[in-house]
Amino acid sequence: MNSSHLYAYSDHREENSAWIWNEGESSSRLFFIFSLILLIPQVFSSSTHLAVISPQDPTLPIGSNLTASCTVSAHLGLSASSLYWTLNGRRLPSTMYTILGPTTLTLSLHGLNGSRQRSGDNLVCHRGNGGVLAGSCLYVGMPPEKPVNLSCWSRNTKDLRCSWSPGGQGETFINTRYALKYKLRWYGREKVCEDYSAGPGYSCYIPRDLAIFTPYEIWVEATNQLGSAISDVITLDILDVVTTDPPPNVQVSRVGDLDDLLTVRWGSPPALKDYLFRAKYQIRYRLEGSRDWTVVADVGNQTSCQLAGLRPGTVYFVQVRCNPVGIYGTKKPGIWSEWSHPTAASTPNSEHLCDSKPGEQNSTLRKELKQFFGWMRKHAYGCADVSIKLYDQWRVWLQKAHKKAQPGRYYGAVNHSTQQT
Amino acid sequence: MAKLPQDIHQAQLTLLLAAVMGCSQVLDQSVSLASERTSIERTYELTKYLDHQLKEIRDTYLSYLGPPFSDRDFSPPRPNSSSLSLPSAATRVDLWRGLENGVRLAQNQRAYTILLCAVKELASSTLCPYLQSSLLHFCSGLSGLLGAISGLMNTLGYTPPSHGNIPPLQGTTPIISAAPAPNDFSRKVEGFWVLRELQSWLQRSAKDFNRLKKRLRA
Repeated sequence: MNSSHLYAYSDHREENSAWIWNEGESSSRLFFIFSLILLIPQVFSSSTHLAVISPQDPTLPIGSNLTASCTVSAHLGLSASSLYWTLNGRRLPSTMYTILGPTTLTLSLHGLNGSRQRSGDNLVCHRGNGGVLAGSCLYVGMPPEKPVNLSCWSRNTKDLRCSWSPGGQGETFINTRYALKYKLRWYGREKVCEDYSAGPGYSCYIPRDLAIFTPYEIWVEATNQLGSAISDVITLDILDVVTTDPPPNVQVSRVGDLDDLLTVRWGSPPALKDYLFRAKYQIRYRLEGSRDWTVVADVGNQTSCQLAGLRPGTVYFVQVRCNPVGIYGTKKPGIWSEWSHPTAASTPNSEHLCDSKPGEQNSTLRKELKQFFGWMRKHAYGCADVSIKLYDQWRVWLQKAHKKAQPGRYYGAVNHSTQQT
Repeated sequence: MAKLPQDIHQAQLTLLLAAVMGCSQVLDQSVSLASERTSIERTYELTKYLDHQLKEIRDTYLSYLGPPFSDRDFSPPRPNSSSLSLPSAATRVDLWRGLENGVRLAQNQRAYTILLCAVKELASSTLCPYLQSSLLHFCSGLSGLLGAISGLMNTLGYTPPSHGNIPPLQGTTPIISAAPAPNDFSRKVEGFWVLRELQSWLQRSAKDFNRLKKRLRA
């Protein structure tokens, strides 16, 4: 560390210590007051700074011009011509400088862009050898515009989560605060949502104390140093916007050895019991390597379904989602839940194991093993009992299951309730 | 999502802290040196863990501050504020070697007490929510380290200094505040230095605990 820097920052210590001495005596009081009077101006002088920049930490609209000045302390013995400016680490050309006095250098900036980082652009005044003398943070942005796309939904008729988007881009360059506010439409005071940490992006979570069967008015207020804006108000009844968790325990399994069928089973959402709704479901599935989903739109309120017309010996990813309907006896549909985590399964190979070539045999065996481990998780408690015997037991079970399945092939989707194993 | 590594770190940190606290709170009179060495070893491991965590946080924080703070060789003058009134981690080798065990631990304790306050202040003034929660999470680790050091001082029979619970220095501004009024840029410089000092101290503490372990073995 440069010793001169140490000196510049620590010279106040000697001045401070003068008054602590000799406190008990009355004469020291006078001395104390005298020192105080002497030292007060020091606090407001720039002798403890290396330099002073003006304006310090301004907030400006995008596109504006700025003239900044750097006045270096006389005791450093530096001249204005030896100083230079950097903005966000990049040296600014001297064509932008004007020397205003022996110790003051000014800078003219035109057409400022939005701040590079939320903490402010770093405008720094340097001495000739690169040392930092002083800095100022520039906050360049725009006043907020009306927040848009405000939408809300409830997970369980008791809470509410809302999300929105900023109305303009300019406000994102500086610190803009958003407050989600809500009130009962026909009475009640305005309340402010407090938990903005939950979701990604711009969202807020209201955990409790919400009424149903009555409309709320909800809006977002955006404020920053340059201005403020209020979104349009949306009106909703909590029961209009109920969604639920995706169905739990989605399982996809083969139908014996039939090579173009898979059975999908899932649990009903636990909230079903508490909030008196019926659920309707949708399934979607795709091939392992593909991005195109096939949607089975109308699964009704069953908790299982058979997918047919599939390709043999292929891995499929399946997801299920749920929509709560008729909440508390109303006829209103809810909002579809998120899709469940993808569950994978493969259809059997159409060729018999013994007839297939070694390469295909390996991939078939691999797929079988995958299914085996899935079965194991259901039926084997803990991994301690894993052995080849367990594998053989499973092969026997599989053959028995194949013998029980109905002969012939299915065409078209068939829904039938099967008992949970 | 960014949260997942934090959850894993949280779990690891909790386990480490539980192990350290479990070990260092044994106040049995007949505690053997072996268990003290285990305490020290665990505190050493905590130090290494925090050092590793700090590297990541520091990188994120410096890019939040923006260039030139995020430039490799940038080094602004060290401010003389209350947040940085801690003893320097750097010290002469002969002095460091000769430090008595109690003094060595007390120096660590004083440094981290000040650094913990400083990092908390840093976190509260951070505008980026993800960074703020990372810093607060790191504070809980630092808090654990402080607890471990205090526990060690207890088990080894050193009385912690009277300012064991140091009130935050920034709450007691002297009548004459000699430091210049803080502005946003100088706060950035202060934050830069707090993390730099933290890094130096974590590296120094690792060596301190190693030395302590060797001394107790002798």
